[in-house]
Amino acid sequence: MTGPDGVGIGWRPEIAGFVAELPGLRFVEVIAEAVPVAGPPPDGLTELRERGVAVVPHGVRLSLGGAEPVEPARVAHLAAVADLVAAPLVSEHIAFVRAGGLEAGHLLPLPRTREAVDVVCANVARAQAELPVPLALEPIAALFDWPDDELDEAAFLTEILDRTGALLLLDIANVYANARNRGTDPVALLDGLPLERIAYLHIAGGAEQGGFYHDTHTDPVPAAVLDLLAELCSRHRPPAVLLERDGHYPPAADLRAELDAVAHAAGFPVVT
Amino acid sequence: MTAADPRGGAPAAPGSLADRQARLVAALVAGAAPPPGFAPAPLAAARAALLRKRAGEVARHWPLLAAGLGARWSATFAEWAADRPTGGGLRDGWDLARTLRTRGTLPPLGARELAVREALFRYDGQRPPRRRRLPAVTTLAIQLAARLRLVKGRAPF
Repeated sequence: MTGPDGVGIGWRPEIAGFVAELPGLRFVEVIAEAVPVAGPPPDGLTELRERGVAVVPHGVRLSLGGAEPVEPARVAHLAAVADLVAAPLVSEHIAFVRAGGLEAGHLLPLPRTREAVDVVCANVARAQAELPVPLALEPIAALFDWPDDELDEAAFLTEILDRTGALLLLDIANVYANARNRGTDPVALLDGLPLERIAYLHIAGGAEQGGFYHDTHTDPVPAAVLDLLAELCSRHRPPAVLLERDGHYPPAADLRAELDAVAHAAGFPVVT
Repeated sequence: MTAADPRGGAPAAPGSLADRQARLVAALVAGAAPPPGFAPAPLAAARAALLRKRAGEVARHWPLLAAGLGARWSATFAEWAADRPTGGGLRDGWDLARTLRTRGTLPPLGARELAVREALFRYDGQRPPRRRRLPAVTTLAIQLAARLRLVKGRAPF
């Protein structure tokens, strides 16, 4: 089973037909929580697997950064999806999504403290013990920071990767969003990260609203994000990059053009 | 004071990461006061973004309710949901539809969607909805009747 390779796209039921017709596609991602493990995988995914397209389950609700131990049933589900689609690896976020019995409904940032590093590493170790394949960790886009950060983002992430042995899933649009909202230099963060640990990249669209850049996944990928992708790949080109689109799907021609622009910026063959 | 745990579990120790995470989530989704030290504007932007995402999920479960409210959908949902933690898109929409029915402001399309759901599922407002045990022919009749009424009402699809 080969890992992520070249340009991929997030498989969603709404664009399954579009994805099925991409001739050069080598890998997709599927939201792990959306895949039932009682029956066979969704038809579109089975057909992609039969074509040799790698399927990477992407978890969004494990809450690896939650102060409580990660729920074993959620890890078991992610492991079962990995088996179901013969995944080369799985991915999740450095974030928490619930606390005190309340669901946040989205990925929330952690304080960049040594206590939080310990919490994440313990949960990642619990997950890794049950997963049949390697785990890649994705830093998130955050609209706010905690008031008591002890570490900068590069040191925080590097420490977690070093201690867990996990791979890095770097979302270049998240790097852009955080730097823009914090007024920092995105390239400086790239310089501080272990780029050789990247299993694959994410890229997605976003939009400015109310004075903040929002990583919406429902808008086009801005040129500045494509430029940052090119900048990263000129330093170290990871094996793959995946476009995430989660709603307000554009006409097929526009989505194909966006995939081509990603391929061009990263220096990969087009898949359309 | 520590953040309450609606599950009835022991409250996290004050100042612990668990306690601080619980306070932050309560501020973002349950109308609680923001924890000290956070910059207010970014936190408000995050709260608004969470509400927008949640509104989209509810609209996927309740397309006719959202369509019936039209341009008022986003504001109506945000006003209702701002201090209510989510029970998931299906239950959030159900609770909102019942609230609007009580207020007399449920649009006809939303009323039809709610009527069909209530005919097919039992929902006590506390636990996840459960399908009623109806003869298959009754279920089919309810669905057919709903479709006919929707056609007459020129539903937008």
